[in-house]
Amino acid sequence: MRSDTQSFIDDLVGDLRPIRPLTFPRGWAIGVGSVILTVIVMALYFGIRSSFMVENPVANPIFVLATGLFLMLGIAATVTAIGMSRPHVGIGHGGWAWAVAMAALLPLSAIVLGFIQEGNAFFQSQPVHGVNCLTHGSLLGLFAGGALTFWLRRGAPTSPDQAGLLTGIAAGSLGIFAYSLHCPIDDILHIGIWHSLSVALSALLGRLLVPVAIRW
Amino acid sequence: MIADDATMARLMALSQGGDRQAYATLLMECQKWLRRFYARRIVPHQIDDLVQDTLLSIHHKLASYDPNRPFLPWLAAIARYRWVDQLRKTYKSAETEFDENFAADDTESTIEASISLERMFSYLPPAQSDAIDMVKIKGLSIAEAADASGQSESLVKVNIHRGLKKLAAMIEKE
Repeated sequence: MRSDTQSFIDDLVGDLRPIRPLTFPRGWAIGVGSVILTVIVMALYFGIRSSFMVENPVANPIFVLATGLFLMLGIAATVTAIGMSRPHVGIGHGGWAWAVAMAALLPLSAIVLGFIQEGNAFFQSQPVHGVNCLTHGSLLGLFAGGALTFWLRRGAPTSPDQAGLLTGIAAGSLGIFAYSLHCPIDDILHIGIWHSLSVALSALLGRLLVPVAIRW
Repeated sequence: MIADDATMARLMALSQGGDRQAYATLLMECQKWLRRFYARRIVPHQIDDLVQDTLLSIHHKLASYDPNRPFLPWLAAIARYRWVDQLRKTYKSAETEFDENFAADDTESTIEASISLERMFSYLPPAQSDAIDMVKIKGLSIAEAADASGQSESLVKVNIHRGLKKLAAMIEKE
């Protein structure tokens, strides 16, 4: 062995400090914690939708299905991103794409309905409320997105671009999941267009911005 | 003789707890393992730099190893990531001969074969792996690689670009 490699190793050994491994339960705890924080902030700042408090929350199947799909998409993306922080040859990270495909049924349904209803669809989606959902959902996603970015920075993702995309998807999905508990509109056109746009916008931002922060 | 996976995993767990003696042993074993891992897959004069870069990454990313998992697949992922990064940075080198002291060990285990760099190359179309091998690993110029492969210079460049992109996307593929 070359002496400079030996002295290099000696330097690294001298720099060693005890560390806590990035185990999955720790990552999962941070992910769940960020979702709980997001919902609390949403409830305190915007308030829970009244129908959720006084009526049977499962009375509207569109609300339940859409909110559930966004939550599941957020969980799938979060779990995958946590897994990507701990590199391991032989482990695939492709399962999240199926969750995206399932959640894509929402904008797809809105587009199909839009074609059927022609020019009325955009206005029926309530664009004024929609912009609020897009903005607030994306902003609420910052909690989950920030937590995942912090986690990934400590880890060693071997595909920073994909990890950034997943961070964005997780942030957008969990942000709009939380905001859905406030948004009083259960129309599939509104949810399919504006709530999905919130996820798409976050995914784009995550893909563009996060890789710079987590590349190693 | 390089330590086995169980030994290295144990050393790593101790290192994460701050045991410097275990860490020194682990890095020595990693250094030997990496030299064999990179054999024939990097221009010889760059091996020391690449090994040191990888050891530095190991040092900075110690937390990303989960002690409940095997060690070598983690080490291989770190090593592959650094190797692809190095290939992207590597341009023509005057040195084209390989040091036979770095020849791959013929007795490598099935696990090591599944995490090897050759396994990654096997997923690339021949035109792309050949172009990367000639230009990025053996140090030929684009023109020399084009002559040797019968491809145009622009096609060699395209194959290198596409091949490196694919390699970067399959770091953790077995």
